[in-house]
Amino acid sequence: MALTHPETELIPYAKGELAAAEHERVAGHLATCAACRESLAAFGGILESLARTAPEPPAVPWGRYRTELREKLEARRHRAWTAWWRRPVPLALSASLAAALVFIAVRGGQQPATVDVASVEQAVLGARLDLLRQYGIVENLDLLENLDVIHNLDGLETSRKG
Amino acid sequence: MEPSDEALCQRVAERDEAAFDLLVARYQERAYRIAWSVLRDGEEARDVSQEAFIRLYQAAGGFGGRARFSTWFYRILVNLCLDHRRKHAWWKRVLGGGRPDEPDGREAVIERQPAEPVDPLAGLGREQVMTQLWAAVATLSPQQRAVVTLHVQDELPTREIAGVLSCSEATVRVHLHRALISLRATLGKA
Ligand SMILES: [Zn+2]
Repeated sequence: MALTHPETELIPYAKGELAAAEHERVAGHLATCAACRESLAAFGGILESLARTAPEPPAVPWGRYRTELREKLEARRHRAWTAWWRRPVPLALSASLAAALVFIAVRGGQQPATVDVASVEQAVLGARLDLLRQYGIVENLDLLENLDVIHNLDGLETSRKG
Repeated sequence: MEPSDEALCQRVAERDEAAFDLLVARYQERAYRIAWSVLRDGEEARDVSQEAFIRLYQAAGGFGGRARFSTWFYRILVNLCLDHRRKHAWWKRVLGGGRPDEPDGREAVIERQPAEPVDPLAGLGREQVMTQLWAAVATLSPQQRAVVTLHVQDELPTREIAGVLSCSEATVRVHLHRALISLRATLGKA
């Protein structure tokens, strides 16, 4: 019975985290194995001592902490915004611009050009505004990267096991 | 009634700035302390915990509510810490530095001794032993240290620690067991 010591289950046992059957198994083992009883007492003592004497990190002025955080967040948003603005003109926008130019070319001979320039501007602005309304998406450009990181967390863990 | 963390996170996803401020106020100390436990450097802990809040803000929409908010957030935080350590380990090795706050930590341990120690370490030169014990915690692998920290300082159950570290409960138990074996050996030498 004492051949396989449930070493890694001792603390979960003491914390009452084990399923009933497993709990019974460990309890039964402990009743017959002095080594495991000794380990459990030692491990429990260590954890209790650590909990009582945990060193405190250096004090932080929390108001300043939150101000810094706000500043960083703003800077990040600004960066995401600038990155978006500098991106190549999106496909939908290029398409509407092209369509407007074709429209000018076709009607160029019949109407004063200024009217069509205005409609081009409208088309372009309209497209931009539409995109602006989807600012939530733009703002979340960073997010894609982060989601990627979050999805890869499991990978990070396995690659670091040791 | 106070809104739950999960409800606040949902509001952050909708870009509710007040909800974000509330979550920060709720978690700032815990986040900073956990980061410090892993990094053992006040400046870095401040920086990395702030970064975790920024990631929280950006990724709040991706919080599906399948896990507790704390598990989800600590996962972001702990992984940033482990990543930070991995990225910065090389220059610390080069400069021969290590843990700038360690001396403070040690003093804090000594200052915080209870007046009447009632544990098995009593009579062994307790302050010295605790100093050695915490020094030994600092030499554990980052994963082991994270498990110990989340266990003793945040009293998280094994299942939640597994959620934070994105590993199985069995792996958490192994990390904790190995950590305890090392720490016990330290006490044996003390
Ligand atoms: Zn045994």
